[in-house]
Amino acid sequence: MLAVGDSTTLEIIFSTKRYRGDSRKRPKIQTNEGPPDKFVTIIANIVQRPDSTYPIIINPYKIDMSQFTDKVIKKAKFKITNVSDQKLKLTMVALPEGLMKIKLPKSIDPGKTVEAEVKLHKDILGESFHKSFTFEMDDADKSRFTVPIKRTVKNMTKKAGKKAGKLTGK
Amino acid sequence: MEKVATETMKKLLPALLTLALVLLLATSVMSAPRLTIPEASFNFGYCPQNSKITHDFWLMSTGDDSLKILKVLPG
Repeated sequence: MLAVGDSTTLEIIFSTKRYRGDSRKRPKIQTNEGPPDKFVTIIANIVQRPDSTYPIIINPYKIDMSQFTDKVIKKAKFKITNVSDQKLKLTMVALPEGLMKIKLPKSIDPGKTVEAEVKLHKDILGESFHKSFTFEMDDADKSRFTVPIKRTVKNMTKKAGKKAGKLTGK
Repeated sequence: MEKVATETMKKLLPALLTLALVLLLATSVMSAPRLTIPEASFNFGYCPQNSKITHDFWLMSTGDDSLKILKVLPG
């Protein structure tokens, strides 16, 4: 229930499975406003070979921050290689608000590889989730890339949970 | 005198009822819930197979009555 003037977020999770190429989904939202129903649209270009994309290659192209021991995993690094012949500027388009920080380089020279970093907020270190972030390049196509982040937390002791910051409030 | 008043009331009753109905309808139309989605489309760009990608859409209640989200159906 949303009072007049209030707002909320609706998280749409898209499982890319074995889809290929351009995919479009239109989840329908039914409310007490009545018909016509409202829709949101998501568009994705699902690649079979994420290790050979253009103008950049992201390695690893999906980030697993799962934690199965007491060792707290709160950071992950990944590399971005500019495989084009022009300098590329990177802009963050979307990331899960308040859950993580992404350190992206401002630009990458042609042929160069730079390191980027995901740092989780301490409040979500005890949680398992699937999230992603999206950034864009300034090439002619305004190429966008989305990097999935998966985290599964198992067998964390209370001590490790306290160290992590918060362990799901228990 | 009382009879005249009763007759007048009888004549006015349909008009009064119609007016009440119109007011009721106008009120219900005025206090309609409304969902506004400022950014109803999102492009993920390139993304790998066999992974889960997510996006948060903002939903705003911009009507004159509370908004209930009843169901979200996959597309």
